[in-house]
Amino acid sequence: MIKAENLTKQYSLTKQRTFKEFLPALFSGQETKTKLLALSQLNFEIKKGESLGILGRNGSGKSTLLKIIAGVTKPSDGRITVNGRVAPLIELGAGFHPELTGRENTYLNGSILGIKKKQMDRLYNGVVEFSELQEFMDQPVKFYSSGMYMRLAFSVAVAEKPDILLVDEILAVGDVKFQNKCLNRIKKFQNEGSTLILVTHSPTQIEDYCQKVLVLDNGKQIFFGSSKEGVEIYKKILS
Amino acid sequence: MDKAKKLASNIRLFFSYRELLFNLARREITQRYKQSVLGYAWVVLNPLFQLLVLTFVFSTIFRVSSFKVPYVIFLIVGLLPWNFFAQSLSSAANALTGNASLITKIYFPREILVLGTIIAKMVDFFYSCLVLVLFFAFYHVPLNSQIVWVIPIFIIQLIFTAGLSLLISAFNLFYRDIQYLLSLIISLWFYLTPVLYPIEQFPDKYRWIFIFNPMSVIINAYRQTVLGGGEPNLNSLGIATLTSIVFFIISFLIFKKMEGKFADYV
Repeated sequence: MIKAENLTKQYSLTKQRTFKEFLPALFSGQETKTKLLALSQLNFEIKKGESLGILGRNGSGKSTLLKIIAGVTKPSDGRITVNGRVAPLIELGAGFHPELTGRENTYLNGSILGIKKKQMDRLYNGVVEFSELQEFMDQPVKFYSSGMYMRLAFSVAVAEKPDILLVDEILAVGDVKFQNKCLNRIKKFQNEGSTLILVTHSPTQIEDYCQKVLVLDNGKQIFFGSSKEGVEIYKKILS
Repeated sequence: MDKAKKLASNIRLFFSYRELLFNLARREITQRYKQSVLGYAWVVLNPLFQLLVLTFVFSTIFRVSSFKVPYVIFLIVGLLPWNFFAQSLSSAANALTGNASLITKIYFPREILVLGTIIAKMVDFFYSCLVLVLFFAFYHVPLNSQIVWVIPIFIIQLIFTAGLSLLISAFNLFYRDIQYLLSLIISLWFYLTPVLYPIEQFPDKYRWIFIFNPMSVIINAYRQTVLGGGEPNLNSLGIATLTSIVFFIISFLIFKKMEGKFADYV
């Protein structure tokens, strides 16, 4: 389902962002690029239906890894194979447009996630019901509170069962009741065979939801294996 | 061979996202004039005022010759397609940078963002043609069947515009200077294209410039078929077709090559 072989991501940061800065630097022989190794030589494999937790301190490359799995950015070396439809719950509502209504945004965001209009027609009532925004669907989302905004975004993202669900510490959506609803939905997808990739700082969430754990530190793979062991190792790194 | 296969699979991927293309175009159209009183009417009013100002300047002050038709008719046939071209380029420049939040989060073929804004501009163009219909009716401009040539000419223009837009949007993502440079280039390009004046008025010794300017071929072809009532110059139109298709394919390949880095740099 997901397989990483020697997966490496290196960013080259250009120091000079404009021609004006770049050209003189090029001629005077200054360095124009600095390299940053965000991920180095990761090797792991997740089978269908298994779930992976990614642990690591800030800046250890967790989000970069999620981006690579989502197909947003390409590895600079090594290989990653991802099979199935990926639904990213990374920063919800990225595709929302403030001037459009909740309904319009639902369809727009759906098509960004690869859900066709016909499918969305079928799913639409479920989305509205899940978000509990029945009375607000014909309002522009700029009038939504941030909680309502997130609720709609989450509801759209989980409207259709994905093969792979990417979650980046967003389980702080709305109130406790809605959070539980989200967690239940994720659990339901898992039971139906979806793979969850979860980035979090909370070891208990990892133990609840994931069989496998990948521990990263400074872009290097410290550990890959069962979640119990992984959590112990992560705690050691922290202390 | 390998390239051709890759191109084919990219095109297939693009078509599987065609709904997103139209949704993004619709988003651009519906949100643009949302908080304005006259709303979408601006799409018609803008070229109308532009036309009146330019007509006053170039037929009353400068007295440019315009064949046998009133200058305003001469101008509108060139100006509206030019506007479509220029507006597509400038909005394409921001098509990727303006959607940074999407590019760094979710995967979909990025050319959708660029082509979506061109479709939105195309809809604007069709509405602005109402002004043209109005003026043509007012001056009783005779039309004949040669006018169907407008369709292939427009398609050539569209292909050329799309190719150039892909390049501009991609390079602007890495160097934002492009968008500032672009407005300069567009205004220079405007004067070097026979929009305001007939091609015959351009000094002979500089006429070679038009060979390197696909837009001059296109604008001229619109005039020949709509106002001249004859066939366009098939020779130069054929060359224009071929160059714009080749140009589009090359641009698309370059765009796809750069695409993998978009999320890292935007």
